Amino acid sequence: MIVSVELLPESTLREAISLLVRLVESAGALIIFIGAGWAFVQFVKAGLRRRDRVAGFNRIRLSLGRFLVLGLEFQLAGDVLRTAVAPSFTEIGQLAAIAAIRTALNYFLGREIAQERAELARGGDPLERPVGGKPS
Amino acid sequence: MNAWLQAAAVLVTGAGLVSAAAAHRLTGDVRRALAVLLDFLTAAGLVRLAGAPSWDGILAAAAVIALRRLIGSGLAVSRAAP
Repeated sequence: MIVSVELLPESTLREAISLLVRLVESAGALIIFIGAGWAFVQFVKAGLRRRDRVAGFNRIRLSLGRFLVLGLEFQLAGDVLRTAVAPSFTEIGQLAAIAAIRTALNYFLGREIAQERAELARGGDPLERPVGGKPS
Repeated sequence: MNAWLQAAAVLVTGAGLVSAAAAHRLTGDVRRALAVLLDFLTAAGLVRLAGAPSWDGILAAAAVIALRRLIGSGLAVSRAAP
């Protein structure tokens, strides 16, 4: 007689992972929302004050980009967690599409932030750089 | 949760419109205002993707992000033009 003890039933694992995915993705969405709210307040304040125009504008955009990248990292962590259970091909396809979008966006945002930060450190205006992101 | 995320995405889009107007007032440049609006639209797309999206939702988010890159490249070309 074989006695099998199921320590962690698959349904429990699925439920636990689903909960974790929701928590991690909500955290990512919350970070992006807070970043957008913060940038909104800063833009409105800067627009009303109209002092330190371009430097202030660039600083706010850079911070918004950082919030977006941080939120994306959380959402990608959720995607990785989701791969622990693969219920159907449709869901796997959707997961692959979402992960591809997030990874590409994360890469481009990271590159933009690095370029803008380098330009700010040089004291230039990142929005006036020519095509290809190289300073003039 | 999806209803909350949709509402948050709409709020972020609205905030983007106001911020773009503020950026235009701050810098006097339409291209910069457009760049701000595109940043906010990307944020809204990402918030919308956080739930359990359908293929339509995924395609819409991908289209916004691709459009953002395209317009960004177009703005860079227009800046570089004499």
